[in-house]
Amino acid sequence: MDRRGFLKTAAIAATGALAAPRLSLAADSKTLRFVPQANLANLDPIWTTQYVVRNGGLLIWDTLLGVDDQLQAKPQMAESWENTPDFKTWTFKLRPGLKFHDGEPVLAKDVVASIKRWMVRDAPMGVPIKKRTDALEVVDDRTFRFRLNLPYPKMPFALGKSSTPCLFIMPERIALTDPFKQITEYVGSGPMRFKKEEWVPGAKAVFEKFDGYAPRAEKANWLSGGKRINFDRIEWQIVPDGATAAAALQNGEVDWVETPLPDLYPLLAKSAGVKVDVADPLGNIGSFRLNHLNPPFNDVRARRAVQIALSQEDYMEAVVGDDTSLWKTLPGFFTPNTPLYTEFGGEPLKGKRDYDQAKKLLAEAGYKNEPIILLVATDVAITKAQGDVTADLLKRIGMNVQYQALDWGTVGQRRASKEPIDKGGWNIFHTWHAGADCVNPAPYTALDASGDTAWFGWPKSDAVQAKIAEWYEAPDPATEKRVIADLNKAAMDDVVYIPTGFFQFKQAWRANLAGVVKAPFPVFWDVTKA
Amino acid sequence: MLSYIVRRILSTIPVMLIVALFVFSLLYIAPGDPAAIIAGDQATPADVERIRISLGLDRPFLVRFGDWFWHVLHGDLGTSIFTNLPVTHMIAQRIEPTVSLLILTLLISLVFAIPMGVLAAWKHGTWIDRTVMMTAVMGFSTPVFVIGYVLAYVFALRLDWLPVQGFTPIEDGFWPFLRTLILPSVALGLIYMALIARITRATMLDVLSQDYVRTAKAKGVGQRGLLFVHALKNAAVPIVTIVGIGFAALIGGAVVTESVFAIPGLGRLTVDAILRRDYPVIQGVVLLFSFAYVLINLGVDLLYTLFDPRIRY
Repeated sequence: MDRRGFLKTAAIAATGALAAPRLSLAADSKTLRFVPQANLANLDPIWTTQYVVRNGGLLIWDTLLGVDDQLQAKPQMAESWENTPDFKTWTFKLRPGLKFHDGEPVLAKDVVASIKRWMVRDAPMGVPIKKRTDALEVVDDRTFRFRLNLPYPKMPFALGKSSTPCLFIMPERIALTDPFKQITEYVGSGPMRFKKEEWVPGAKAVFEKFDGYAPRAEKANWLSGGKRINFDRIEWQIVPDGATAAAALQNGEVDWVETPLPDLYPLLAKSAGVKVDVADPLGNIGSFRLNHLNPPFNDVRARRAVQIALSQEDYMEAVVGDDTSLWKTLPGFFTPNTPLYTEFGGEPLKGKRDYDQAKKLLAEAGYKNEPIILLVATDVAITKAQGDVTADLLKRIGMNVQYQALDWGTVGQRRASKEPIDKGGWNIFHTWHAGADCVNPAPYTALDASGDTAWFGWPKSDAVQAKIAEWYEAPDPATEKRVIADLNKAAMDDVVYIPTGFFQFKQAWRANLAGVVKAPFPVFWDVTKA
Repeated sequence: MLSYIVRRILSTIPVMLIVALFVFSLLYIAPGDPAAIIAGDQATPADVERIRISLGLDRPFLVRFGDWFWHVLHGDLGTSIFTNLPVTHMIAQRIEPTVSLLILTLLISLVFAIPMGVLAAWKHGTWIDRTVMMTAVMGFSTPVFVIGYVLAYVFALRLDWLPVQGFTPIEDGFWPFLRTLILPSVALGLIYMALIARITRATMLDVLSQDYVRTAKAKGVGQRGLLFVHALKNAAVPIVTIVGIGFAALIGGAVVTESVFAIPGLGRLTVDAILRRDYPVIQGVVLLFSFAYVLINLGVDLLYTLFDPRIRY
């Protein structure tokens, strides 16, 4: 062999040796490597309402009831329940053989303690139930009972809903923790146990299959049915950079990315070995939140001025892009394609935008070019995009907008201020609501118009509140639909807030995974890996 | 010498005290509310307020500072607001990736940058000099995240030689450990390399024009001996200074690199803590960094004595 031949052979050998080991770290079919939407910084799903904590909690803790993809609450840890015709007494019986990860049996006292902690923190449904509860009592080891002083027909939905905080069942000793303090033990009766010793917050969280879990016999459907896990380990890898997460998925280093960057959907869709599809069929509703306490938006005419000028198309293109299969305009407050969806009263958000009329309404409301404080969390892509569109919109209708670029932590603090503008108050901020929280008024904090006790912005509308109360008492689906239509119109008339549109995100996973479903949360049960 | 080292280490105490007070004050007046983040987007204002009280964030500044400082004096940096884990535990979890990244970056940079600088000075005015300087300018001008993405695309996605992201601890094997660090170290090291190469070239040019170098040449000292024994040693003091300053600056660069390559190091811990307003973690990490800066400066001062016998402490 001459010198050139030797070098050529050596180069081929070296290249081959380096390229040979395919770096597919996700090769083990019994380990699922998942990139969640955010860092799992803690694991108390009652103390915090962050979705990522709820999603981790769904592996560790089981729920008493669970909603399916029709939003119907089905028994989960409960074997059965019964209620009196007046909906004042509810009796639940637990399935036999339920065990916590520490080997202790799940008893009615554990459930009662868990419900009591949850009721303090779940403002939309738990707190109203607590107010109506005369007694929440253990009947025997597997049975407990609510005795209410007012009817609450929505009890099964409340106990099985997927919106945060979910009712997770914890051992009594843990559930007795102050609801405003964080638990320190993560012991549940769900299908996986949390490996606290492997937890590196901000980097990794590991869940290990719990052999003592007793799944239901029925097929899994969202939070209901048999939660059969086909992995020994589920590793959550926190990858803060969206482009890196996408590259790791393409390279086979992770199996599933919950929320890839929308800009990268086309790239991932074209990548060999990667699948991309809508993550949550219930999607999200963008929110233009006005402060009803400060001028000019304490006057409904000023709120209507913005409402009739706002183009949802502009917002959705800014948030999601030009793939119209992922967004639609939303002349209403409720989640599209769900039973109570309505557009009744939604005319102000339809048709051509009317800047002249908006300016006229602002003048009638007495607006005289005062600064409008727009709080924009620029570290969150969705709020940043909405904020940019709003700044442009307000200028178009002649408002003196002050765009305050902040991070989400600061917006979270500033929006709590009820002070006037000259004392650090605000006029507008943006957020979005998970579609799962907007399927009916119960979990829908943003639609509450009770004034001082309402969500940030503190809208007050007696008409809206009357319809919400009427819905709680509605005896049948037809009545519910009628009431919700009226509620939609009342909320639109009083401009509780302005929806900026309905949008969906996609999830992406390696093609060797099967069983990935669309849901408002990642569903790990029934997923398999070849 | 020993007394000097002891004095220097003792002098870090007032420095760190001032840093602690400054950071605590800064965080106190900075906007942002961890309680609002914990409570989540749908929480009511009343819930946020109750969480704030349960975390003790409603207490006066001096009470909070005094409480924190008392614990620091006892070696307790506090507990993370969010994870409920001790800050020392969280730092211990994150220190290996960051230290590994910085050391490998330093090694790669020195191995390439000093010969490049020497070569450029030796071949001053030639195409070699211009090529080295052009490379250095490019290294300076290209942001770490751009270099990171390009490297990941080429060496991970296209060639499939190295992983895109993550970190493998050294106890899981040296090669897996090294493999996860090569791309981030190169990405982070390019700016550092450029800096050292330019300084080396400049100081070497200065030294090479000195009389004693000419004398050495006249006496027949070979090129290698001239460059690396006579010239480089005398050019070392400014190089060591810039290596020290640059190494401290690398800690800042590590924040971006760790995010791009999903390395669970102290940089990411700091960013996460700042975004969440996890005050105990921010304070703990800043204290650690300030101590590291002081130690690096001390190390640089001590290295001077190796290269220049005239320097004595």
